Amino acid sequence: MLIRTPKDWETSAAVTTESHYHARPRREFLRTLGVGLAGAALLRPGSLFAATAGFPPKPNPLYPASALKPTAEEYVTGYNNFYEFGTDKEDPKVQANKGWKTDPWTIELKGLVNHPAKFDVNELIKKIGGIEERIYRFRCVEAWSMVIPWDGFALAKLVALADPKPEAKYLKFTSFQDPKSAIGQREGNLDYPYVEGLRIDEAMNELAFLATGIFGKPLPNQNGSPIRLVTPWKYGFKNIKSIVTVEFTATQPKNTWNIMAANEYGFYANVNPKVDHPRWSQASERIIGGGFLSGRQDTLMFNGYEKQVAALYQGLDLKKNY
Amino acid sequence: MLEKLLRSKIFIWTLLVLPGLWLAWPLFVTHRPALGADPLKFIYLHFGFVACVLLAIVLTFTPLRVLFPKSKLALALNRHRRLVGVASFAYALLHLTAYLLHEGGFRTLLHDAFEKPKLFILAGLATFTILLVLAVTSLHALVRWMGGKRWKNLHRLVYLAAALAAYHQIYARKLFPVQVLWIFGPLALLEVARILRQRSKARPA
Ligand code: HEM
Repeated sequence: MLIRTPKDWETSAAVTTESHYHARPRREFLRTLGVGLAGAALLRPGSLFAATAGFPPKPNPLYPASALKPTAEEYVTGYNNFYEFGTDKEDPKVQANKGWKTDPWTIELKGLVNHPAKFDVNELIKKIGGIEERIYRFRCVEAWSMVIPWDGFALAKLVALADPKPEAKYLKFTSFQDPKSAIGQREGNLDYPYVEGLRIDEAMNELAFLATGIFGKPLPNQNGSPIRLVTPWKYGFKNIKSIVTVEFTATQPKNTWNIMAANEYGFYANVNPKVDHPRWSQASERIIGGGFLSGRQDTLMFNGYEKQVAALYQGLDLKKNY
Repeated sequence: MLEKLLRSKIFIWTLLVLPGLWLAWPLFVTHRPALGADPLKFIYLHFGFVACVLLAIVLTFTPLRVLFPKSKLALALNRHRRLVGVASFAYALLHLTAYLLHEGGFRTLLHDAFEKPKLFILAGLATFTILLVLAVTSLHALVRWMGGKRWKNLHRLVYLAAALAAYHQIYARKLFPVQVLWIFGPLALLEVARILRQRSKARPA
């Protein structure tokens, strides 16, 4: 990398060697580091290695700790949408931890690629060369936002591994289907399995990320264990959780919320303060954990990642392609 | 016993204030992420919910009396129509106030209602306006000044308000919220029953 424009998330002088999880309790640190070996075995029987694969994450010098202050872990893991486990934001933490197994987990690469393959997630992490941490803004289509320290690896590395054929223009992601464990799938609140898609150039963008952990720990079930997409310049629903297959296709794949309500949710789902949702404005957002009155801020174009991604959409009418 | 309770203004008052106090309850007792994550949102959705429930409840009083003319309970409830109706307005006002604090004030309201109008916001605004007019015209002096007939005609608007509130509640969510059926379903059934009853009465035997 020759000349690098500074990233939006590294503008401040707040780059320190200290932990950036603002006074993360020691106890948590210990859990992160050793996962208390014996303790982990007790907590997740038979999954000692699986649960700790890749941890602790390696620091990536290109993505140092930034000025962004992570949202309290309690809200990141206790207040989110995962309709497979209920439609209330407090549901997933409860419903996704009633015996749903995410370990072992196989992820399949298929479609228009030279190296179709099936991997155990932990083997995949090893093959990729470990995980790193990135702190990204997260903007939900419902006009609220968080800051989340993800652990994982660049999606581009997975694309390279699959080695797409020239005809491959899109990635189609499919999540799990397990109505026995997922109350939302039993209720049929959406079309399942959840599917999402990216253009291949979007997938190769440096920001596109596959997360396997948050806050230095493996992903909790409710956050999309064991592997999920993170595209911080897009609305949250693009970030498909608990991925089972990644298929490379020549045509634009469908995505679940677009199937449900095409006039409200598009394929691109780029964060855009100037394009309203049909039922609310996207000009500003509520900061989760921001307190009683002080928690609102203006929404930024591409969620503040304009420098990194604007080039992807040159000439595209963003009003039509919402 | 139940009839006596239901006749009591103080009892009904207490019932009407409780949903407001209930909000504070989890703050002290249990830990709920939703409350800390986005407290104002939690609060304004709750107030909207209570406003809808009270609106649906107060509208059941008249059909209950028509369908069960001999029931003392139905009679007791009908003493409180004004009180419950005004309480529904009060919760709607709290809902609107918390919404304004949460969503960026009148700038957002004007944007979503008029600049780039959103039907579900307009429905909320219309509901609120109707409830406001009805609450104001429920002052004794105004009722007398208007005269019974005009007052009655004006207050038929409450049915429009209920329909708009149901629409507003449904479209506030990304997926159809089943609780709308629980809230407005009984009212709809009672109204159908009342209309059938009144028709069969109107017809000469
Ligand atoms: C100017 C008037 C009003 C405005 C601007 C307004 C605004 C809103 C908004 C923005 C939401 C959606 C919140 C979200 O989930 O993102 C909402 C939900 C709701 N509102 Fe209103 N509202 C108004 C009047 C009313 C009135 C008069 C009632 C009842 C009589 C009401 C009852 C509700 C209910 C029940 C919900 C749904 C709560 C839930 O989904 O849990 N609103 N309102």
